[in-house]
Amino acid sequence: MSTPSKGLSEFVAEATEILDTLAQDLLTLDERRGEDVDPDLLNGIFRAAHSLKGLAGMFGQDRVAQLAHRSEDLLDRLRLGKVELGPAALDGLIATIDVFQALLAESARGEASPEVTQRSQALADHLLRLAEGAPRAPEDPLAGIGLDPGVRAVLTEYEEHRLRENLKKGLSLWKVRAAFDLSDFDQRLQEVNAKLKPLGEVISTLPSAEPGAGTGIAFDLLFGTRRSEDELRAAVAAMPVALQRIAQAAPPSTASAPPPQGEAAAAPARPERRKRKRGTSRATGTPPIPERSGPAEPALEAAEPTLPAVDEESAALAPVTPLPTRTPPVTPKPELDASLRSLTQTVRVDIRRLDALMNAVGELLLTRANLQRLAETARMGGVHAISKLWAQELHRETRQLERKLDELQKGILDVRMVPLGQVFDKLARLVRRIARSAGKEIDFVITGGEVELDKLIVEELSDPLMHIIRNAIDHGVEPPEVRVQNGKPRRATIALRALQQGNHVVIEIQDDGPGIDLARVREVAIARGLITAVQADEMSVRELQNLIFLPGFSTARSVSQLSGRGVGLDVVKTNIANLSGIIDLHSTPGQGTLLSITLPLTLAIIRALVVSVSGRTYAVPLNSVLEILSVESSEIRTIERREVVTLRGQTLPFVRLCRLFGLPEVPLKRHYVVVVGLAQERLGIAVDELVGQQDIVTKPLGGRLQHVRGISGATDLGNRRTVLVLDVGALVEEVLAPERRADFI
Amino acid sequence: MPRFEELLEDFFYRPEEDVGALFDAGGIIEAPAAAAVEESPEEYLAFRLADETYAVRIGVVREIVKVPPLTEVPRSSAELLGVINLRGEVLPVYDLKLRLRLSTVPAPIAGPDANLAALPKSARILIVHDPEGDAGVLVDAVLEVVKLRPSTLEAPPRAVSGGDRSPITGIGRRREQLFILLDLAQALP
Repeated sequence: MSTPSKGLSEFVAEATEILDTLAQDLLTLDERRGEDVDPDLLNGIFRAAHSLKGLAGMFGQDRVAQLAHRSEDLLDRLRLGKVELGPAALDGLIATIDVFQALLAESARGEASPEVTQRSQALADHLLRLAEGAPRAPEDPLAGIGLDPGVRAVLTEYEEHRLRENLKKGLSLWKVRAAFDLSDFDQRLQEVNAKLKPLGEVISTLPSAEPGAGTGIAFDLLFGTRRSEDELRAAVAAMPVALQRIAQAAPPSTASAPPPQGEAAAAPARPERRKRKRGTSRATGTPPIPERSGPAEPALEAAEPTLPAVDEESAALAPVTPLPTRTPPVTPKPELDASLRSLTQTVRVDIRRLDALMNAVGELLLTRANLQRLAETARMGGVHAISKLWAQELHRETRQLERKLDELQKGILDVRMVPLGQVFDKLARLVRRIARSAGKEIDFVITGGEVELDKLIVEELSDPLMHIIRNAIDHGVEPPEVRVQNGKPRRATIALRALQQGNHVVIEIQDDGPGIDLARVREVAIARGLITAVQADEMSVRELQNLIFLPGFSTARSVSQLSGRGVGLDVVKTNIANLSGIIDLHSTPGQGTLLSITLPLTLAIIRALVVSVSGRTYAVPLNSVLEILSVESSEIRTIERREVVTLRGQTLPFVRLCRLFGLPEVPLKRHYVVVVGLAQERLGIAVDELVGQQDIVTKPLGGRLQHVRGISGATDLGNRRTVLVLDVGALVEEVLAPERRADFI
Repeated sequence: MPRFEELLEDFFYRPEEDVGALFDAGGIIEAPAAAAVEESPEEYLAFRLADETYAVRIGVVREIVKVPPLTEVPRSSAELLGVINLRGEVLPVYDLKLRLRLSTVPAPIAGPDANLAALPKSARILIVHDPEGDAGVLVDAVLEVVKLRPSTLEAPPRAVSGGDRSPITGIGRRREQLFILLDLAQALP
């Protein structure tokens, strides 16, 4: 027995939910046996079966998908009136619930027993035969009514069916012509609908063939009702509508009107159809058996005799006894019917509820920090004469609280974690599709789908990843012929990797294509006016490569189906930066490109570096801190008046936070420089002191302070003082792109 | 006072001041004997700024809190004194005196040089509702809830309401006492 993966348990959870709805609706249908079928109910069941089919297909659960497919087919024919919803069809459908449950139970355990497979097969075949049952009597009650052929031609199959049903029940059919002014017709139409609905069924709403007066628009509503003409007229008296009867309601007792004729025509047809159906069931039921191989055969034959029995019973129109008819197609299997407990242990939770819990934990963490401080003071002898024992006890209890709180925090963070595979699988499908349409041959290799990240991050990540991969396919992979010419394997490889490194997750997208064409990048950047030719000559390879992340840089000349959808890598960069992520790019001409994204595990609680400048305290999210340097004042140089420091032979832009924020400057010989990275940019931020590291919960600044530059939020460090959290991305942007910013100020 | 107790005071949850008593205290103005129309008085919260008495509609006031040390926001206007963290919600606090030209320097309650002792002991922060986001305003004292009949309100004197965007919407009068009525949506930057 294999352990089911997280993906599979998700499938079981979701499928169980759908199945619950399905079962509930089917039972409602069952309770109303013999009554008129509510079309909405039947439509609902049809949709549930459809969803189940889609879901099962997505997770490769073929057995569930196949049975759902057959149910859907039958339901579709039922709702279109091609097959009558008799006891046989209903029993067949109800039987599916047990089988679905058995299938899901096995899926949950990661098994697939032959018995259940056979049961499911047999039932699917049974449903197929039900669906292929003979069509209804050919007499068309619609022929005899005053319905314009032009109108009939535009009705959907379903609407026609509803028309027939209404006629069969002996209801009046009305054509309600409603003319409205163009300005408010949708609202007025709704009003008319609201008036009519309680009285009967609005079968179809069609724009009228005859145009309304002047600026107006007219609709024909086909409406079936049991009510009298007077009632109907009274209901719509205040509306700009005209009524025209197209079929007369049958007086309850007399058999003069067309509907009873339809009924009469249908009645004799019924036994005949049953017989024929039984005939076809044999005819269609037998041939498939030889096609199927080996072990399935005996069981099918064993199941076979019970199936016609259902038909016989209902054909004889024996008093409806649901119990015996419902069970026969299903070979009872005690294990499966034994328990009413649901299959999954899963609870679906709105992510916002988890956010609220997380908030509460954040507040608790602050209280904890306060308590720790108190306990520490007390232990050190403090200012009060407290018994030593008491102080020790307080200290011990605080430690205990601390441990439990850590568990709680970790638990909530864990709940928010989902595997990256969720996104990766979607991307795999996308790659197949777009590779085909681009005429490229690509092996898409995924590793690390099991790595987990905060749900919020995974959601936000899917679009950027999609862009990057589209780009990789569009620009990063040569057509097969070119690859062969260049001595590369015909099929290109795009690898998508995820791996966890401590508190970070690194996602890499690597192709073995031609690499970034620097000459072309240079040309485009100059053509778009992003840089001048002189600037371009001074740029390093790395700087040139990074030009592709600039807004307005997109080498796609037109909006192609692939990457050039008007959004480029600049959007990717922004999205990743919003997640406190860092993008890095390495490209080797002729060998390919590697894009790596480093992300924090979660955004809810982050580790921050607490720094102080001119007596003020700020928090810097640690996930954007690359390293910390200690720099002598004498090491600071200026280039065009901008300060830089040299880090391992490279020039690092440098900014003093106190100057940037306009705070009084404390003269210092030695600065601490926090090197931060955002996407591919690096910046050194000079601070006076490093205070320490701490887990923080960042609270956004309210609506009024959104425009404050360089601050992403505020947090509490446990001493009841609010501390601002630096927005590293905005600071890097502000310092490194002053020319662009100068336009706004 | 010993440090330990100070720490405790700091640590314990500090409930916001109960304004319930103020509501009860609000004196109902005796209606003039011949009230032409039945008119329900509106409630205003009166507070002191410098030596003037102002009032805002009671409905805009969310709560009243004691003044904690504020965290200054770099590169913001002088009117923004700083932010406070009110039960997990970060709120800006503004200095109305600067806006109303009752003072030229912001109250020293934010940043490392904060000196809360320089404020009157009765100083409070009113947390007010605002469509642009709730905010706090610093006042020297919260006085009472007054009920004023709309018909008794006077338009602000021309000399006072400088310009179209004046936050002063009128003058309320109770016997000899004047209440300057403020529209906080205009008063907040």
